[in-house]
Amino acid sequence: MSRTYWRSLAQIEDRPEFRAALEREFSEGASELPEGVTRREMIMLLGASLSLAGLAGCRRPAEEIVPFVTAPEEMVPGIPRYYATTMPFRRSAYGLIVESHEGRPTKIEGNPSHPSTLGASNSRVQASVLGLYDPDRSQSVTLQGAGKSWADFVTAWGQLAEAHAADGGASLAVLSESFSSPTLARLVSELRARYPRLQWATYDAVSDESRLAGLRLATGRDLDLMLRLDRASVVLALDADPLLTDPEMIRHARGFADGRRAGASGGTMNRLYAVEGVYSLTGAMADHRLRLESRQIAPFLAALAARVAPSEAGAASLGPGGVPGVDPRWIDALAKDLLANRGTGLIVAGERQPAAVHAAVCALNTYLGNTGKTVSYYETKDAALPSVSSLAALVSAMQAGAIQTLVVLGGNPVFDAPADLDFVSAMAKVPHSIALGHAIDETSSKTEWHIPRAHYLESWGDARAVGGLLSVVQPLILPLFGGRSLVDVLGLMAGGQDRPGYDIVRETWKPVLGEAEFDSKWNRVLHEGLLAGSELPEVVPTLIAQPLAELARAIGGASVATGAGASTAESRSGLEVIFLPSPWLHDGRFANEGWLQELPDPITKLTWDNPALVSPTTAESLGLANQDWVRLDYGGRSLELPVWLLPGMTDGVVALTLGYGRSHAGRIGSGVGFDAFKVRSSTAPGFDSGVRLTKLARTYPLSATQNHGSMEGRPIVRESTLAELRSKAAVPAPVEGAHAGDVPGASKGTPSAFGVFPGDAKPFSLWKEHTYDQGHQWGMTIDLNACIGCNACMTACQSENNVPVVGKDQVARGREMHWVRVDRYFSGEPSGSPEIVFQPVPCMHCEDAPCEQVCPVAATVHDGEGLNVMVYNRCIGTRYCSNNCPYKVRRFNFFNFTKDTPDILKLAMNPDVTVRARGVMEKCTYCTQRINRAKIDAKLAGRQLRDGDVKTACQQACPASAIEFGDIRDPSSRVVKAKADPRNYALLAELNTKPRTTYLAKVRNPNPDLDPSTLQQAQPAEGRTDAGAWHAGKGGGVVS
Amino acid sequence: MAQIFPPWWNKLPLVTAIAGALGPIVVIAGIWYYFSPWYTDVGYSPVQPVAYSHKLHVGELGLDCRYCHASVEISPVANVPPTKTCMNCHQTVKRDSERLAPIRASAESGRPMRWIRVHNLPDYAYFAHNVHVAAGIGCVTCHGRIDEMETVTQMTPLSMSWCLDCHRNPDPNRRPVSQVTNMRWTPPRNASTLAEELERERPVTPPTDCSGCHR
Repeated sequence: MSRTYWRSLAQIEDRPEFRAALEREFSEGASELPEGVTRREMIMLLGASLSLAGLAGCRRPAEEIVPFVTAPEEMVPGIPRYYATTMPFRRSAYGLIVESHEGRPTKIEGNPSHPSTLGASNSRVQASVLGLYDPDRSQSVTLQGAGKSWADFVTAWGQLAEAHAADGGASLAVLSESFSSPTLARLVSELRARYPRLQWATYDAVSDESRLAGLRLATGRDLDLMLRLDRASVVLALDADPLLTDPEMIRHARGFADGRRAGASGGTMNRLYAVEGVYSLTGAMADHRLRLESRQIAPFLAALAARVAPSEAGAASLGPGGVPGVDPRWIDALAKDLLANRGTGLIVAGERQPAAVHAAVCALNTYLGNTGKTVSYYETKDAALPSVSSLAALVSAMQAGAIQTLVVLGGNPVFDAPADLDFVSAMAKVPHSIALGHAIDETSSKTEWHIPRAHYLESWGDARAVGGLLSVVQPLILPLFGGRSLVDVLGLMAGGQDRPGYDIVRETWKPVLGEAEFDSKWNRVLHEGLLAGSELPEVVPTLIAQPLAELARAIGGASVATGAGASTAESRSGLEVIFLPSPWLHDGRFANEGWLQELPDPITKLTWDNPALVSPTTAESLGLANQDWVRLDYGGRSLELPVWLLPGMTDGVVALTLGYGRSHAGRIGSGVGFDAFKVRSSTAPGFDSGVRLTKLARTYPLSATQNHGSMEGRPIVRESTLAELRSKAAVPAPVEGAHAGDVPGASKGTPSAFGVFPGDAKPFSLWKEHTYDQGHQWGMTIDLNACIGCNACMTACQSENNVPVVGKDQVARGREMHWVRVDRYFSGEPSGSPEIVFQPVPCMHCEDAPCEQVCPVAATVHDGEGLNVMVYNRCIGTRYCSNNCPYKVRRFNFFNFTKDTPDILKLAMNPDVTVRARGVMEKCTYCTQRINRAKIDAKLAGRQLRDGDVKTACQQACPASAIEFGDIRDPSSRVVKAKADPRNYALLAELNTKPRTTYLAKVRNPNPDLDPSTLQQAQPAEGRTDAGAWHAGKGGGVVS
Repeated sequence: MAQIFPPWWNKLPLVTAIAGALGPIVVIAGIWYYFSPWYTDVGYSPVQPVAYSHKLHVGELGLDCRYCHASVEISPVANVPPTKTCMNCHQTVKRDSERLAPIRASAESGRPMRWIRVHNLPDYAYFAHNVHVAAGIGCVTCHGRIDEMETVTQMTPLSMSWCLDCHRNPDPNRRPVSQVTNMRWTPPRNASTLAEELERERPVTPPTDCSGCHR
């Protein structure tokens, strides 16, 4: 298969900057000091460090041992403890197992028995430990900015409560985020009983409101849904991103990857179709991807419905079913595939799509027999459902002066409320405002009272997870800054008494578990983190309306074009704007977590910023280039920000990522990126038309990691199709790879197909071969077929291995420190819909490691178990090793990045891993600390190490289970089985480095009906041809 | 007019010559020694906040090490006991001792004792007590005859080469696990048979790679 892979537009066009990035191991100026240090200062620094070193060297400082006065039972110094808890996120809840060292939570993993995580996690979950130790969290209750105590607030609330009780709370309002929690729901009902006329609003900046509305439209009930991608063989994602931005992405990823794996090992492989405006991670995983503006999704769905369910009620009104610019054969093939897989198909619509689309999707899934199989529904229970209209009603009441007291229970409405509601001016008319928040954020800095909010690792609570499973939020540490949880504050408001959250939560659980033996049952729940069997019953919805007719009506009307509200024909011209939740910061709530800011976006590979994304074709027609500064005018508001050209975006679409541009996030997140909420209105929270981009005369530097460490077009990623794999004709050739000698698990074969070596020529080794036939021999496989490129491994590694954050400027210089990176390769026409392959690249642990040969001080050497180890203390920083590494996985600590780490953040560090200093090379260690711990544990237990005892951090976190790690001398180990797969190949095997980490080639499962040779005009099939509207106005850099 | 250069200046060339000859030798010798593994903290014996005598408690009263250092078998860290452990006995024994005043103060106030660490490995060396105990390495091997010490003193170099000496040939330092805390244990005459027996019972493979101790 001859594909060309490319990593950026600069590469395709072979621009000088790409050549420069390619040819230099360390980008130009990588050895320079950060700006602001002159040569003179440098000499001063040198002098100071010498004299300090001299002084310190006289006698090492006396170190103290400070034991407990009375040791807590079961806490043994040096042995981490693990507790089950739950991280609530919107109406989802991630079941977790948190590692705690001497009472401080350090590492977060998924709870294997919890359906939302299945033992895995994602970047947000991993990074939430930083949220706990965030030095910018607020430290006390404040009144008009002045420090107060919680007792002061309790007193003040007592007076307010009395006043409001008089009129039933008519002038009292609560604004909350959505949640799903029995305790909170109970408190809310108590609060409503106390203040019957209370005004309650629930607002999520990024919400699934339109899906709820759609299901209400279709079934008349408030339903949640649970996708079972593991059961699906054909999946259609309509502007949806179930694999990344969806709150349930972990279980979706696992299910999807299971389906891919099954196919690669002989079973049925699922097939994913994605139709979308932006380039999402789900789109990147799709076997077939169609670029389509978000506003065209409804017509597309109508066209599909007309083919799939022509006899369904209301289908007649759909018309013949054509979508401008879309090859009807594409829809035909999709419909055929869905019909052929009744009961194992699945259609998912994205949260930003309007209710009518969701209703129609529900109808189609039911019609295709998928309901109850690949998608199941259950009643929403114990939940506050998001509703923009409730916020709008609240704001108008505030504007009218009807609200005396506003309580903001979490959330940050001043930052993320729709721009058209003008929440700020409304709040100014409320005499008493109270905000519960993690920091003095945009909202808390404008309210009368601020209450520091306890982190979920500090609070008691509960939640209903996916499927309605009851999960418990258990604290691992007392509130560091005296924060109060949502339960505490609602408890005070509802009960009028300041009671511990623990009591309140237990009160809720008493009727659930029963009074008899409550304590032991409760302890069991705490131990498990969930109550087994508490899932809500599945609902088989009956369709009350005619969703397809509704869809037709919606298309006929204008509401589809905006996602919710009305839109005039005039605004349909111009570009379409799509609002995306940030995959890491979500709606901005995680903006102060450095790991997430520095985590590259999976598709754009940008860090620390959120430029407007446009397709290369669109950019060309607008005269825009990467990093150009533009003004975006939309709906009477404007926003200035840079642009980034993303191949595969739908032409005529500009995507804005939400969650950036916070002004009060803290030292990490404030002033990073651009606030897209400034132009987002309540009527079109998802997408809208009528956007103009005007090029302004400046550029803005963006830090992307995409060109760093390129591999010069060699067969780095390998892929095949399922048909090819089955026919064995063009199996990615087994390559003489990782293992020499008699090590089992080595796939023997001839390196011909990707052939650096013709025939059976064996690579010639310059070195004396090691045998590695003693003890454990560690190895890893990464299944590119399962990998979804979500970057969870990167954050997990960062958390486990104390990897520092370096900042935007340093990333631009190629100094990012991530021990594992996820490479993203495009293939195909950049102006069309290029395909994407992801490839995580940690250290390969080569048996003949090129880095070791060139180190002048033996700072990187091999150990007896096949690990390429890095001895930090020996390293003198020549960086020869990194120069000689063909995989570019070594990271150099250019500065003392950890030096300025605030003390509190040091609590998040893993005590089992050295914190590296400046001037030292570092890289993936295969989590040697975990290997050692497992070996010692096995030794103490007097048994042999078993397969699965050692899990690397990346492996444990991977939602797709794409990584296997284990002993390659153990023939029964999973890693040996993986390496025996014919798809196994070593990266750059022709160099004869014998990497221990090998890859399993990716397999695509294209629909034969959509083969480009049968579909002669594949290219015109996608992309709009009627895009004249936005081409027409071109001139002077302004397009409308 | 007084002379600018007093007479002893005449010796200057000689002094300079001697200093010039000896200076480099001193510098080289200094670096040679202080930067080498021979320069260790053996003999380090800091003054502790309470002059706790291991000689009295272990040597004479016969307390087992694990009464206080309870986690040594299960944890990498052999804990220093909480104040409560001292008070277990000293709420009845020597209740009014002047020397125990800081302990009583700690127990009353809830403020922890601040002991000075004697055996201090660098932060990048990850030593685990538990696995060494399980392998039958006696406390004495590294800590010396604690039962004879009034003040705990570092007796062994705790340098990397010293660690490796044993890791390369652990047999001379192994003993039955039951005898690990025994300060007076001596190897039997047929030491080689014992080593074989121990190896059969619980084979050890002490790591000699960097990754064994550095992470």
